Amino acid sequence: MNDKTKRFVKSKFQDYYRTAEIHLPPDFTSREWGFILFDEMPEFVMRRHKAFGSSGELHDYLSGMVPAHAYYSVAYYEYPNAPNMKEKNWLSADLIFDLDADHLPGAPKSYADMLEHVKQESLKLYGFLNNDFGFAEEDIHIVFSGGRGYHFHISTPAVRSLGSAERREIVDYVGSTGLEVNRFFGKKGVSGDAGRESAEVFVLPSEDEGGWGGRINRYMVSYLSGIAKQEDSIKILTGFKGIGKKKAEQLIEIFRDERQISLLKNGKMEALSNIPKPFLEALANQAVSEMSASVDEPVTSDVKRLIRLPGSLHGGSGMRVTALSISELETFDPLNDAVVFSDKSVQLKVIKPFSVQMKGNDFVVEPGEGTIEVPEYAAMYLLCRGAAEYGSN
Amino acid sequence: MDDRDLALFPFISEASDHVGSLGFSLDRLISSRALDLARIRGKERVIQSISGEIEKTSFSGSEEGPVLSELLSYPFARILVSCIDDPFLTRRYSLAEAVAAYTLLKTRDVEFLSNFGNDFGVDARPSDSYFDINFTDYIKLASSMKDLKWKLVNRKLDHGNVRIAKEEFARLLQEVVRARIHDSLPIDVPEEICDLCAPYLDGIKEILDKRKTEYGAGDFEAVERELFPPCIAHAIANTMAGVNLAHSMRFAMTSFLLTVGMTVDDIINMFNVSPDFDVEKTRYQIEHISGSSGTTYKPPACATMKTYGNCYGEDELCKRIRHPLRYYSMKLWIKKRDEGKVKVQDKVVDPEQK
Repeated sequence: MNDKTKRFVKSKFQDYYRTAEIHLPPDFTSREWGFILFDEMPEFVMRRHKAFGSSGELHDYLSGMVPAHAYYSVAYYEYPNAPNMKEKNWLSADLIFDLDADHLPGAPKSYADMLEHVKQESLKLYGFLNNDFGFAEEDIHIVFSGGRGYHFHISTPAVRSLGSAERREIVDYVGSTGLEVNRFFGKKGVSGDAGRESAEVFVLPSEDEGGWGGRINRYMVSYLSGIAKQEDSIKILTGFKGIGKKKAEQLIEIFRDERQISLLKNGKMEALSNIPKPFLEALANQAVSEMSASVDEPVTSDVKRLIRLPGSLHGGSGMRVTALSISELETFDPLNDAVVFSDKSVQLKVIKPFSVQMKGNDFVVEPGEGTIEVPEYAAMYLLCRGAAEYGSN
Repeated sequence: MDDRDLALFPFISEASDHVGSLGFSLDRLISSRALDLARIRGKERVIQSISGEIEKTSFSGSEEGPVLSELLSYPFARILVSCIDDPFLTRRYSLAEAVAAYTLLKTRDVEFLSNFGNDFGVDARPSDSYFDINFTDYIKLASSMKDLKWKLVNRKLDHGNVRIAKEEFARLLQEVVRARIHDSLPIDVPEEICDLCAPYLDGIKEILDKRKTEYGAGDFEAVERELFPPCIAHAIANTMAGVNLAHSMRFAMTSFLLTVGMTVDDIINMFNVSPDFDVEKTRYQIEHISGSSGTTYKPPACATMKTYGNCYGEDELCKRIRHPLRYYSMKLWIKKRDEGKVKVQDKVVDPEQK
């Protein structure tokens, strides 16, 4: 980013901050604030250990200094502006989850695909937080990061005092780390004279049991009854290792029978006692990997981390860090809804090949094309990403 | 809680309030002839904590005297532990008090446990034979437990509530009891009071020193596995590889590990590698050896190991010792000595010292 580009981007950010609606975190006067300024870029110098006593002070800072990136601490401190961590005196911290496309397994092709993929993970996480952990909808604050992912903030009193190891337990829960499927799903020995094998019955938690057990039940029953309804169900089932035509027919019969299904939902697994255990295990493991939400563990366990301010702009994309409700998340399209700049035409020189789809338009640019003209919102994105410089020369 | 329960669980807030309301001065606690029995029992608590488990009475008679002695023996025991102010003793004592509490709590009903939990800020709502507890309380209690069964991911979690069995709750309460006692020690005891307690302290110190020299390590907290004798190292390697050990060898290994300061959970964790690992069975066996049945077991000496064919990989140091624990303590001593040497050499080449 050359100086001219910096001046242009900064002036656009300034226009935004003059009227921006900033979502202040609870107890914002107890937070440490940190900013990265355009003038010092490309060096990433964090101006931190700041504190604001009123929302006016923060607004003045944003529209006066016009930072490229704005953060506040997930922690609450007694003295948030003390120059070192010890003197700040940590009091408590919000519970944070970071879902970032960079950390997800599998590499989707485009930026839009990546954002969609991480959104699906976010919806899974929301399910855990709302159902399993019992957080009310209004206590789960979802934020699009302005980059490649979503942040979840929870500030209820009970979670604020949790330590790092305790927060890691929550990450492990949603990510199924350390989950012992056999603990929920497996065989239970029954006493008798029969041989070991025949003296074991399959057990599974009922569908309304809390935790992973109930989740696995719901997944397996819905997955198998879904297959049983399909015309090519035999073909699908025989695709599994250990399932021949006969076993497949058995399964279909069971999962077309409402009475059997309701027994299975209650954890009564006798109907499946003839079905090879490896098949059921494979299905349970499939359930676990489909339902796990992959969150960035170090972010959650770090109780002093700085996190992006909702309502601020992400200096690496020019997009708005956007607070969302769960229903907004479902329909949220970052490349449309987090875009804040106008359609006014802007002249650029492309320095790196780049393609992005914003507001329904495809922008594919190559260096060496001379000066190009694109709408301001796309220009801001390309400038912030370092794919172009501002102006015609 | 009635007076008897307060005497059995003297570390809960209600018990210390009760002791306060009785109006015994520190001087009286230290010197009143009427409180002789409380002081003797206080000393006994500390000694039992060093060698095994603190045994609690069941107050069979209707007399008030034994109840009061038991109650007041606790503050006196704390004074003794604080006067000695030895980290090993403090840890050992806190743990023993907590384990004794666990043993009693297991036998109480869910309402009792629920009230008990309240004193530690734990809100556990009883229902039949289990509890519902908020997940934040649960992970605060359970995140230090090593066994995978305590991990939140393996629990029934529904709308913020974790369901736990009564005995599990008692086990978790053991941890908070231990932490409360450990964190409250040492208390600030004036020197002249410690001087007055000297007759009680001498006996304890002797047993403590004996215990410490017997097993070598001044600090049991850092267990140095690479310093274990070859027989124990071999047994550990076999266990981890899934090879079944002879009963006598498993006993020798487990009692050795417990004695050098590993916890039951540490040991379970170490062995939890093979797929057919039975946690509950192993826990039972280890806890039995660790003295939950009332008897503590010491690891067998080299001669016994040889008799049972468990002496393996005898080396030069083995020839100079008669007990596997002695091997470990000598290795620790050698290591410390060598580390000392390294420091001396560092000083010589330190450029600042030219």
